[in-house]
Amino acid sequence: MFKQIKVWLVLTTILSLVALGSSCGKTANEGGPTEPAATTGKAYTAKGDEGTVSGAISFNGTAPTPKKIDTSADPACGTANPNLQTEDTSVKDGKLANVFVYIKDGATADGTKVGDYTYSTPSGAVTLDQKGCQYVPHVLGVQVNQKFRVTNSDPTQHNIHPNPKSNPGWNQTQPNGAAAIEKTFARHEVLIPVKCDQHPWMKSYVAVVKHPFFAVTADDGTFVIKGLPPGKYTVAAWHEKGGANGTEKTMEVTVAANGTAKADFAFGDAPTASNRPGLEMMPALDLPMIGRH
Amino acid sequence: MNKRLHWFALLVASATFFLIVAGALVTSHAAGLATPDWPLTEGAFLPKVESLGMRTGVNMVGNLFWEHGHRMVATTVGLLTIGLVIFLFVAEKRQWVRRLGLLALFGVIAQGLLGGLTVKLMLPLAVSTAHATLAQLFFCVTVSLAVFTSASWMREQPIREEQGSLPLRYLCVAAASAIFLQLIIGATLRHSATWDQHLPTDLLLTHVGGAVAVTVLLGSASLLFLRRYPGERFLTRPAKIALLLLAVQLLLGIAAYITRLGSPNDPQPLNPMIGITVAHVACGALVFATTIVLTLRSFKVLRASDLALTLSASPQRS
Repeated sequence: MFKQIKVWLVLTTILSLVALGSSCGKTANEGGPTEPAATTGKAYTAKGDEGTVSGAISFNGTAPTPKKIDTSADPACGTANPNLQTEDTSVKDGKLANVFVYIKDGATADGTKVGDYTYSTPSGAVTLDQKGCQYVPHVLGVQVNQKFRVTNSDPTQHNIHPNPKSNPGWNQTQPNGAAAIEKTFARHEVLIPVKCDQHPWMKSYVAVVKHPFFAVTADDGTFVIKGLPPGKYTVAAWHEKGGANGTEKTMEVTVAANGTAKADFAFGDAPTASNRPGLEMMPALDLPMIGRH
Repeated sequence: MNKRLHWFALLVASATFFLIVAGALVTSHAAGLATPDWPLTEGAFLPKVESLGMRTGVNMVGNLFWEHGHRMVATTVGLLTIGLVIFLFVAEKRQWVRRLGLLALFGVIAQGLLGGLTVKLMLPLAVSTAHATLAQLFFCVTVSLAVFTSASWMREQPIREEQGSLPLRYLCVAAASAIFLQLIIGATLRHSATWDQHLPTDLLLTHVGGAVAVTVLLGSASLLFLRRYPGERFLTRPAKIALLLLAVQLLLGIAAYITRLGSPNDPQPLNPMIGITVAHVACGALVFATTIVLTLRSFKVLRASDLALTLSASPQRS
C-alpha cells in the first residue's frame, strides 16, 4: 500500500516538474493560438473619394458618479494621482467618452466586403501609458499586427496583463523607468481587457481590428472615422458597461463618395432593440481564416 | 510521548492555517498574477525594507504584498515541514506516523509546484483549484500529525461500543468526505470569477447544496456524539467545536455571498468583501480539520457493537 502511494507521489512530482519546465520555457507570445494576419485578398487602396462616418454617443439617464479609488496599498499612486477615480462611465454634458466605434461589417460600392480586403499595417505604434496609476488612454484601437507599445510614466512598477480570447495572453512586469514593452496582436479581437494585477483598479481595453476604420469617442462623446470608401456598412459602438463583456450597439449607414454619414448612439437607460450585450470575440468581418484549419 | 514533537507539529499546523489565510487573501485581492515570476519575485526573495537597510529586494506594494507575502509564508511552512519530518524521524517510534510526516513533505512540495504552475500558466481554473484543494489536504495531514503526537491520543482511552443503528465513525467519514467535496466546489467557485465578475450561478447553487449536505451530516454526527457519549470529552469536545464552527461558517457563507454580490460594481476589491470571504475560507479549513479530529478520535475509541459484529459475522441469522 505504502509502496503504491510512493509510486504515485513520485509520478505526480515528476509530471508537475515536467509541466512546470515546459511552461517556463515559453515566451510571452507562445501562450496560445496564433493566426497571422490575412495575407491574401484584394489589397485595399484609397481612391480619393473616401467618406466619413461621424457621430456622438449620448448617455441617457443619470450618469453614475465616479468612485474614488483607495491607493493606500501603494502610496506612490496616491502621490502621483491624489484624486484617482473610476473612469468606466465618463459622461460630460450627457455625452459618453471611451466608446469604441468601428466598422463591423459591410461592403464597398463595388460589392467587396470590407473584411475581404487586406490592409497595410501602420508603421507607427499605438501607445498605452501608465500614468497616475491609470491606463492612458482608457480605450484604444490598434490594427492587426500593428505595434502595441506600453510605457510606464509612474514612480512605481506595474504589470501589464491583457486577457484576450483569440490572441495569446501575456503578463509582464514593468518597473518604473523601464523601457517600453512592445507587442503585437495577430488576430482581430474586439475588445481585449487589459489589467494590472498589482493595482486591481487599473483597467483598459484594446480593440484589435483588421482595418483602419475605427475611433474612440473623445471627452465630448464625438467620434470621426475617416477614409472610408463609399459603401454600406454596419457601424458598431462598444462600451465596457452593461454586461459581463460590455455592451455593443450597431447601426447601418451608407457612405456616399466624399460624403459624411451620421451614426449617433445612445447608452445608459432605456436600452434599444439593437443592444447586444457581449464582446465580439470572433472575427466580426467574416475574415478568411488564413492558416487555420 | 514527546511534548516538544507535539508542540512542533502544532506549530506546523498553525503555520499551515496561516498559509491558507494568506492564500485566500491572494485570491480575494486578485493578486495571483501580481508577478509573472516564480519561484522568485522579480528576481528576489527578500522584501525591500529601507528602514532596516534592505535597499534591494521585492517592493512590497500593491498586490505584490499579498502574492509575495504568501510565497514567504509558504517557504516558511515548507521549511517547518522539513523540520517536522526530521524531528519525527529522530523522536517518533511509530513508523506509520513517520510515513505520515513524509506524506506531508511530499504534499508541501507538490503544493509549491502547483503554486508555480498556476502562476506560469496564468491561473488556469483546474490548477488554481487543485492548489487550493491540496492546501486543505495538507492542512489536514499536519493537524493529524498534531493529533497523533498528542498526549490525549497516546493515553489509553476506554473503548466504547457504537450505540444506535447509525455508526458514528462512518457518519464522520461521510461528513469529512462531504466537507472535502464542498471545499473543492468552493475553491472552484472562488477561482471561476474575480472580484469584478459575477459568480457563476450553477456553481453557487452547487455550493449551497453542498452546504446543506455538510450541515446535515456534520450537524447530525456532532449532535449524536453529544447525545450518545455525554461524558466523553475526548469525543464531545471536537463535536462541540465542530457544531460551533459549522454555525459560524454558515453565517460567514451568507455574509460572503452578500458582500460578493455588489463587488463587481466596486472600483477595487473592498475590505468587507475580502475580510468575510477570507474568513469563510479559513473557517471552512477549521471545520474540515475539526471533523478530521473527530473522525480520528471516533475510530480510536469506538468499535462496532456486539450486536452489529454478530450480525455482520452471520448475516443469515438476521
